[in-house]
Amino acid sequence: MRQTLRLFGLLLRGYLRDRTALFFSLVVPLMLMVIFGYLNLGDFGRVSIAVDDQAKNQSSRQLVEILRRIDTLIVTEQTTDAALTHLKRTELDMLVVIPGDFVVAPARPGQPVPQLVVYGDDARAQQVAVGRQIIAQVIDRLSFAVTQTAPVVVVKDETVQGVRLRYVDFLVPGILGVNIMQLAIFSVAFALVADKQRGVLRRIMATPVRVTSLLAAHVMTRLVIAAGQVGVLLLVALILFNVTIIGGLAPLIVVALLGTILFLTIGFALAGWATSENQVPAIAQLITLPQFFFSGVFFSKNAAPELIRPVTNILPLTLLNDALREISVQGATLWDVRTQILGLLIWTLAGFILAVRLFRFEKF
Amino acid sequence: MPPIVQVNDLKKRYGEIEAVRGVSFFVQPGEVFGLLGPNGAGKTTTVEILEGLRRADGGSATVAGVDVFRDPSGVKRRIGVQLQASAFPDHLTARETVRFFAACYDLVVDELALLRTVELEERANQPQDKLSGGQRQRLSIATALVNQPQVLFLDEPTTGLDPQARRNLWELIRSIQARGTTVFLTTHYLDEAEILCDRVAIMEQGNIVALDAPRKLIDDLLARGFTKPVLQQKANLEDVFLDLTGHELREQ
Repeated sequence: MRQTLRLFGLLLRGYLRDRTALFFSLVVPLMLMVIFGYLNLGDFGRVSIAVDDQAKNQSSRQLVEILRRIDTLIVTEQTTDAALTHLKRTELDMLVVIPGDFVVAPARPGQPVPQLVVYGDDARAQQVAVGRQIIAQVIDRLSFAVTQTAPVVVVKDETVQGVRLRYVDFLVPGILGVNIMQLAIFSVAFALVADKQRGVLRRIMATPVRVTSLLAAHVMTRLVIAAGQVGVLLLVALILFNVTIIGGLAPLIVVALLGTILFLTIGFALAGWATSENQVPAIAQLITLPQFFFSGVFFSKNAAPELIRPVTNILPLTLLNDALREISVQGATLWDVRTQILGLLIWTLAGFILAVRLFRFEKF
Repeated sequence: MPPIVQVNDLKKRYGEIEAVRGVSFFVQPGEVFGLLGPNGAGKTTTVEILEGLRRADGGSATVAGVDVFRDPSGVKRRIGVQLQASAFPDHLTARETVRFFAACYDLVVDELALLRTVELEERANQPQDKLSGGQRQRLSIATALVNQPQVLFLDEPTTGLDPQARRNLWELIRSIQARGTTVFLTTHYLDEAEILCDRVAIMEQGNIVALDAPRKLIDDLLARGFTKPVLQQKANLEDVFLDLTGHELREQ
């Protein structure tokens, strides 16, 4: 243990002096979070809707006012002609035309019911569907208020979470997950393959050092760096974006450390397999890139094509992101995310077996 | 005194190539022993087997009283090594590098005192990768001395050094020998072997073809009627170089 701690102290000191490594483990993740946080890709999930109010009466103004108050909608008033042009350029998702005879009143037999005309952008079918649903609900409520009769169709209100959850709240756990993966895999693989190629490992193995001590020192170094990284990212997320971590920091950090250990085993396996530094980026990208896109970092994991979803849903990073997100956003406890934790442990075991088979200090 | 290194019929092959073909020799405590030979003769393989870094295919070897095959870790504890083409962990100072290797032996040492013996005390806090070639070789020797080894293995210690740095390293090796440490070195510089070594073994294609004191090998050659085609010069180009540039060690 004393040997492990001494080696760990020196390795950590060396790591902290390495400006390039620090840049990649702290500055890049921060940039990623700040850029995506401010880009607020979450707005892509909102529906931009134009209203052409031709009635300009009390009922129509009431309708527009209600629509404006709905967070999911971005409401502007435009003429039909202008709005149609914007629609064609996909600058708008929907257009609602309120006819001149619009009135919310009990229907009288023989009189036509006023008709709202809704134009939707084909290319944004999802947003349009959400928009239509919201409008239908609003109309139902307006009618209910006037007629005092229960609406014919009851629509279940499903906007509880969608409205409150900002994109950055969704993003932060994803950024944590992806950076844990990158740090663990790249920092181990690059450093150890370089050590292997330059003969550092050979020189160390010419001493009677216990391999387990050396290995543990390397793992501890990365755990400290990962913990620092997670801390800095969370701090910035809290200060800059006012992100709330509903489930609390402790379970989040436990899952983050489990994830770090998992990806460290993969890093060691890669370092054991690779014989030159040139092989590392290629293979590391091959491992990390699909997870970068399909594991729910920037977008929902359901953005992956349905065909491959059974696979992408059990990728290590998907499990890690799911667990981090459920803790952070939904206030899940460790017990609530036990399935993901079990999955992470299974991957860790697989990675460990692979690392032991591929990585032999004695070989150098 | 029993030999401190004892090698019997040592064999090692890599696939088709027989790198070491049944080599036997011994090294006496306190001597500087040189293993000479052209590149690819099997020097490094032999040394790395003795250092416990490679497994041999046959024969036996004991170093400092320990069977190398049975207890490589025990051998490593008793020897110091300087490897050919090796490097130190990144971003550490000279002093931290020594501390790192002391930790590898699970020892606490006086790092500055060790650096002083290799004349690097004033470079203690300098990053090791900023040291000159000669300084790095001296640091390498300092790291090899952390466990007060009984045998110090040096694999081509002066390759790539300028004449001043080479001479400086020779003096260092002599001072280490003077403290009672056995030195086992490989080199392909024959002047170095002639000046430093008490005895040398010459390897050729995996075999030892001669083993004796350098002076004795030269006398034997002359006794066989050998004469140099060119008369020995009273000075050579290296003497000119050193006369013009001095014996002082250059450090940037």
